[in-house]
Amino acid sequence: MADNSEKIYICRCEEVSKEEIEEAIKDGATTLSGIKKRTHAGMGLCQGRTCRKLISSMLVGVKEPTEIFPPTARTPVRTAKIGEFIKGEEE
Amino acid sequence: MSQKSEIIIIGGGVIGTSIAYQLAKRGKKVTLMESHDHASGASGSCDQNIFLQSKNPGIHLELALASAKMFDGLEEELGSPIEYHRRGGMILIESPAEMEIMKSFVARQKQIGLEVDIIGRSEAIKLQPGLAEHIVGSTYSTMDAEVNPIELNIAYARAARKLGVDIKLETAVTDLMISNNRVIGVVTNKGEFQADLVVNATGAWAAQIAAMAGLQVPIKPRRGQIIITEPVPRFIKKGILSAQYIVAKYNPQLLEKSSSLGVKLGVGLSLSQTDKGNILIGATREFVGYDTTNSREGIREILKNATRLIPPLQNVNIIRTMGGIRPYTPDGLPLVGFVKGIDGLFMAAGHEGDGIALAPVTGRIAAELITEGKAFIDVEPLNPNRFN
Repeated sequence: MADNSEKIYICRCEEVSKEEIEEAIKDGATTLSGIKKRTHAGMGLCQGRTCRKLISSMLVGVKEPTEIFPPTARTPVRTAKIGEFIKGEEE
Repeated sequence: MSQKSEIIIIGGGVIGTSIAYQLAKRGKKVTLMESHDHASGASGSCDQNIFLQSKNPGIHLELALASAKMFDGLEEELGSPIEYHRRGGMILIESPAEMEIMKSFVARQKQIGLEVDIIGRSEAIKLQPGLAEHIVGSTYSTMDAEVNPIELNIAYARAARKLGVDIKLETAVTDLMISNNRVIGVVTNKGEFQADLVVNATGAWAAQIAAMAGLQVPIKPRRGQIIITEPVPRFIKKGILSAQYIVAKYNPQLLEKSSSLGVKLGVGLSLSQTDKGNILIGATREFVGYDTTNSREGIREILKNATRLIPPLQNVNIIRTMGGIRPYTPDGLPLVGFVKGIDGLFMAAGHEGDGIALAPVTGRIAAELITEGKAFIDVEPLNPNRFN
């Protein structure tokens, strides 16, 4: 098994390392969304709350800072139980 | 200065990259133009079900069966993970009326060679625990499968690149270059590129590209909203649809009179669980132009429908929603082939919700038509000129 003790994790939820993100950039990713699709960084429980900024800074050099856009914001803001979404307003 | 390649493919989604891979395998010099990135359109905002059972018996199911054969061993062939599994699939049946429709649907599918059966409630609940009490039974096929659509798209792109395909990301085609009714290249935000042949594989955007050649193509964007849960231990055992989805897809007139919001939004259950444990819950089918946002009523109706059929889902947390645009066509079949009126222009778009399932076979058909002038099955029903 590989020794992971030296790995730097950028996305903790999905356990994506700095190295994997650099690979994704080499593979052609130039956006947060492109990195997310290639590595799953930002797809986990916190939806990129921590890693978004770190990855943005890794993209500087590939893109102008003003051209690094946040990924599309979507519901829900925090994890929420399905039961909560369907409560009330029963027709 | 412009560069020249034999073939230019417009669109880096699952269809464009599959065609690029198949053409490169046949020794063609291919350049692929993608306006954003791979998996930026429908290929990156869909669920992971590869349903054979949901296909109309006929050319539609034949294509899906041929594609299913290609999925076996595809991961090794492409050399990147795609999370392909044949877990089997069920279509939940809620009423005797739906049972009648599904019985005739299943009988016709069997004739074409699909292994599928109708099973009663007691057997269905063994395959998928947690079914609501009113569910009377389901269909079941061991041939339905799952694949990670984003990984499939990226795996095709990587394999194509390895074979020499020049993939240009963030390269948007703004015009087609045409001379004497023949396409001779494309104009992009990064300059002009010449080619003998141009493939339009731009999915829901295919009508815009076709319009650059003065052609009218009846492909319309249709939105599908999907909900993603937190990872949980395996709870969804199979790919799951509801018969209502099949009725909505093939007998929409039966639902026309309904005034329910869910029906208006085209809600039909589509469920599966990823390798990591996230449950994907879909979906709507809405004509809202190119709007990819999620709507409150869409999310609510999808979840109401899913929990109505599988109540224990109420206790799972959701972490994300998605909205994607699928390329609708009037007869539910894609447009694959050379267009009439403009030489050197090839269409491969309009798969709506079947793009992932049909990506392998579409790549093969397109490459065969382009290099040999003939495909391994009769593709006349996919003729892109059939609506003229």
